Amino acid sequence: MAEAQLREEKRTFWERVKGVVADFIYGMATHEMARQALKTRGSMEHLFILITMGDLLGIPILPPYYSLRLLPYVVPQISTWKRRMLRERDLTDALA
Amino acid sequence: MSGGIAILIAIVLSVLGYRLYSKRVDREIIQADPKRATPAVMYQDGVDFMPASGSVLFGYQFKSIAALGPIVGPITAAQWGWLPGLLWLLLGVLFIGWVQDYAAAMMAMRNEGMTMGGLSYKFISPRARNILLAFMYFYLLLIMGAFGFVVAGLLADPRVPIGFAILALSGVLAGYMTYKLKRDLIFTTVVTVLLAFVGVWIGQTAPAQSIIKAINGGPESFVLYQTPYGPMKFSVWLWGIIALGFCYLGSVLPIWQFAQPINYTSFWLVLFGIVGSIVGIILASMGMGGVNAAYSAMPAFVAFNIHLGPLWPILFVTISCGAISGWHSLVSTSGTARQLEKETDALPVGGGAMYMEAVLGVLSLTFAATSVGLYDPAQNFKLTAGAGAVFARGMATFLSVLGIPQDFGAAFGSIFLAVMALTVMQLVLRFMRIASAELLGERIPAFKNPHFGSIVAILFTLLILWTAFWQQIWVLFGGSNQLFAGLALLLITIWLARDGKPHGWTLWPGLFMYFTTVAALLYTAYDIFFRKIPQAQAKGAAFVIGNGVAGLIALFLVLAAVVLLADGWRSLQAAERGVPASGGE
Repeated sequence: MAEAQLREEKRTFWERVKGVVADFIYGMATHEMARQALKTRGSMEHLFILITMGDLLGIPILPPYYSLRLLPYVVPQISTWKRRMLRERDLTDALA
Repeated sequence: MSGGIAILIAIVLSVLGYRLYSKRVDREIIQADPKRATPAVMYQDGVDFMPASGSVLFGYQFKSIAALGPIVGPITAAQWGWLPGLLWLLLGVLFIGWVQDYAAAMMAMRNEGMTMGGLSYKFISPRARNILLAFMYFYLLLIMGAFGFVVAGLLADPRVPIGFAILALSGVLAGYMTYKLKRDLIFTTVVTVLLAFVGVWIGQTAPAQSIIKAINGGPESFVLYQTPYGPMKFSVWLWGIIALGFCYLGSVLPIWQFAQPINYTSFWLVLFGIVGSIVGIILASMGMGGVNAAYSAMPAFVAFNIHLGPLWPILFVTISCGAISGWHSLVSTSGTARQLEKETDALPVGGGAMYMEAVLGVLSLTFAATSVGLYDPAQNFKLTAGAGAVFARGMATFLSVLGIPQDFGAAFGSIFLAVMALTVMQLVLRFMRIASAELLGERIPAFKNPHFGSIVAILFTLLILWTAFWQQIWVLFGGSNQLFAGLALLLITIWLARDGKPHGWTLWPGLFMYFTTVAALLYTAYDIFFRKIPQAQAKGAAFVIGNGVAGLIALFLVLAAVVLLADGWRSLQAAERGVPASGGE
């Protein structure tokens, strides 16, 4: 962490400007595409967890035996998945 | 005044405004804290909440907010003279525009990444959210109508369609190369962008133009029918359908397959156009290239009353972006606020992108003010060509300073503008079909079908396209857009009041926008029902439907805004007294 900070401080003004311009162009051109790909992957994963772990939200789809076998693999994602599934959404979320 | 000086003034004022006013608000009122966890960090789920760096989001925000508004608005508003438009762009962004974009992002960030619907439910009332969503549907319909007109007019130009088609195909190819062939992005970009430039060149050659002229039914096309506002040419009628067909594909196809790669390829053309034009204007202002950069197409001030209406309130909605825009609050809350990694990034991203958009507005105003011959002095400097034609000519003129041929520049400028419009129109149509499925899907199950929802939205749009007077539709679109901004500012004010923070800096701009836009919508509705339609009927014209529908939409928007203000005002007073909200809490 401290090393990264030191490296950042050592960057010259022009290097920083170059970085900002590159980021800006990336943000305009490609960020939305990259984000969309990540969103698609995330949605698929969440759908998979819903099918396999639906019991956690009171939606039994898969028999608990198989869910339990898969549980260790999805543990790291359960809290974010539950939050997203249970969060109230409306039309304006569709613009995100 | 020359274009170079106007752009310089805009840049200097933006830098001063940012450093002296915006930073102070950020530091002293909002108290942005880089150590406070943002929703993007707290709720990172890989879908809705994903942190990104400030400079990446600056580009993302600018791309998302800059569409046709800051381009066409100033060109249309130049009919009052160039000075009122310039003043509104500069003062509007300084005191209202950045305030809304930045504060909307902060409000969403400090409220767990809620979007406008959820925020209006929480801060005002459950009813407010439903009204806001219905408001949005009609607002989006007006966007489709206003932008669709411009695109249909641009595509009717024989120099444009083939270049545009090749650009679209290049975009689809970019998607195929990236996602299916897994080719390197730089290689893909070089191939497809070069192809797009070659397409623009092919489109303006004589053989390509002759094909389009044959499709258009002759070099000048032919009149299909008379509207109250002039003849409807077959070419405009036809290309309106084709443009909406393009949007339909963008709405129903997977986004990575069609809309996104086309937007990606187009982006490079847009970047080239903006940078090239700014450099061209600066060089021309220094006397290079033999191009006129002086504001000589119209006087600084023409008159208070012109054929569109009085300067107040109509000018303030005609320039529907560049100074302020309600669309930006949607982008700030739905997209940006859920990606900001640090609270201190909100100002450079939200505020900075808005200041930059104002500079884009001044660029368009320069195109208008230097386009001698397109504003007729005999008719009180009325715009005699389409706004798209003014823009294309302006871009061609200033790109010619860099040695780019005028014909290529004009075709390029038209395609540039069509792309800017269609990027937003595809998104809007997609959103409209989701909105209709959500609002009506339970009662009419057919709306749950994406094709049906898209087609209904397209039919509404065509009704406006084929039977309405564009400049009035543009004013109505601007009115609904700015009214949305006024309502967003009201919401922000309530949030600030609930937190016990000073809120005059959002309340007064919000009230100004609210009353200005309500006045503009009422004036335009009155003009439609009591002047334009009787005049048209007296002339025996058959088609008055489009403006009639638009007039009704204007009245609905005003009614919705009155209810929202009444509910919002109650919530604001309750917040000032420290009473909990009456809304969804």
